[in-house]
Amino acid sequence: MPLFSHSDYLAILLSLKVAVVATLLSLPFGFAVAYLMTFRRFPGKVGLDVIVNLPLTLPPVVVGYFLLVLLGQHGLIGKWVLQPLGIKLIFTWKAAVVGTAVVGFPLMVRSIRTGMETIDRRLVEASRTLGAGWFDTVMTVIVPLSIRGIIAGSILMFARGLGEFGATIIVAGNIPGVTQTIPLAIYDYVSSPGGDAMAMALCLVSISISVVVLVFHEWLSRRMVRAD
Amino acid sequence: MKKIIGSVFLVLIAFALFALPVRAGDLNVSAAMSLREAVTEFSNAFSAKNPGVKIQNNLAASGALAKQIENGAPADIYFSANVKWMDFLAEKGLVDRKNTVVVAYNAVVFVGKPDLKARTMQDLVKLEKIAVGSPRSVPAGDYAVQAMKKAGIEKQLEGRLVMAKDVRECLMYADRGEVTGAFVYKTDAEQMAKNVKILFVVPQELYPRVTYPLGMTAAGAKKPEAVAYFRFAQSAEGKKILAKHGFVVE
Repeated sequence: MPLFSHSDYLAILLSLKVAVVATLLSLPFGFAVAYLMTFRRFPGKVGLDVIVNLPLTLPPVVVGYFLLVLLGQHGLIGKWVLQPLGIKLIFTWKAAVVGTAVVGFPLMVRSIRTGMETIDRRLVEASRTLGAGWFDTVMTVIVPLSIRGIIAGSILMFARGLGEFGATIIVAGNIPGVTQTIPLAIYDYVSSPGGDAMAMALCLVSISISVVVLVFHEWLSRRMVRAD
Repeated sequence: MKKIIGSVFLVLIAFALFALPVRAGDLNVSAAMSLREAVTEFSNAFSAKNPGVKIQNNLAASGALAKQIENGAPADIYFSANVKWMDFLAEKGLVDRKNTVVVAYNAVVFVGKPDLKARTMQDLVKLEKIAVGSPRSVPAGDYAVQAMKKAGIEKQLEGRLVMAKDVRECLMYADRGEVTGAFVYKTDAEQMAKNVKILFVVPQELYPRVTYPLGMTAAGAKKPEAVAYFRFAQSAEGKKILAKHGFVVE
């Protein structure tokens, strides 16, 4: 087992950090979208569904490229919103978070929706007739009853975030110690002659983390099924 | 009937699978990314003279190509942007040293926006982000990192070097304005840059001279087409093409 270099350790930490931050940031939005899709009827619902799920089927490179075009120095948001505010996003770890969040978002929404769809509508209606406002209903009925879906979705998104490559390499670049996550470090080793041992070692780290996370997810979803 | 259609289909698939790889007259040329235009022109000129030879140009970072060849990727001709990766293949017995020859030279430059105040290596410590080829596989990055080390600014630039997968990606990062500047070859900057220009040439005493060895792989040496291509690239016509694209030919 070769010893990891300093930047490899940073890559492992960074992967965890990016995945955690992306998941936490997406959580309120994911919940809101899942709520809208489950409990509300509104025009353009199908459109929203398609847009939210698009990153699931699009190559992450496409997502990354669009983000770069939007957020980059000459991009619509980059030039008119971020630059005046003095925010530089591209090639920072924050860009990796944005990329990871967009790519993983549909997974989170799907899980939360699955959780919400198991809620008995009568409970929601009962809470409304008993005088609870919609916010109260959300916090006291919907959140507790879909909490497993929320957790499962977060875990799934976190796991997906750990492996994010395509969008990340485009918007965050490959800066050792700053934006180089595990997949990017592996990519760097894979294209280098003699880098096989290190690539394999990082692959093992990646596999171990994924296995732990997926086993936890599986355990949780089994408990979910049993609870219903 | 269905059965017949099914078996015809299977046979067709089998043909498609087996017909793809080695075919007489096929030539696989693996070349450093910085040679993209020159090698494309080489190959076109060679094809024009030798109809029937189908050339596939595989362009990537020299280190990535060496790795592909090491892992058995089809390659008859290998153009590297440094001696290191050619030596690597020679040590593995994948290239015979007597079938290698240096065909061109280049230089490393620093590019950035024309109004950027960076004239020496020492000026770089003030810049925010610098693109450089990943030194593990991109020779341009390897040369650049060696120069930074020798100039004593490597530590100060830590965390600010954006690693590109090849030298052209490096240039593109700078051209699009996502990094302040980039280390690329003189030829890339002269022929490909749109929004950036050469701010300074990296002093030659800081890194080994950029050398392009051309090699015939062990597999290629057995093919007459590869031998012909290998000779063609060293001919006066070949040198003219390299010179036209800005490479130094001696």
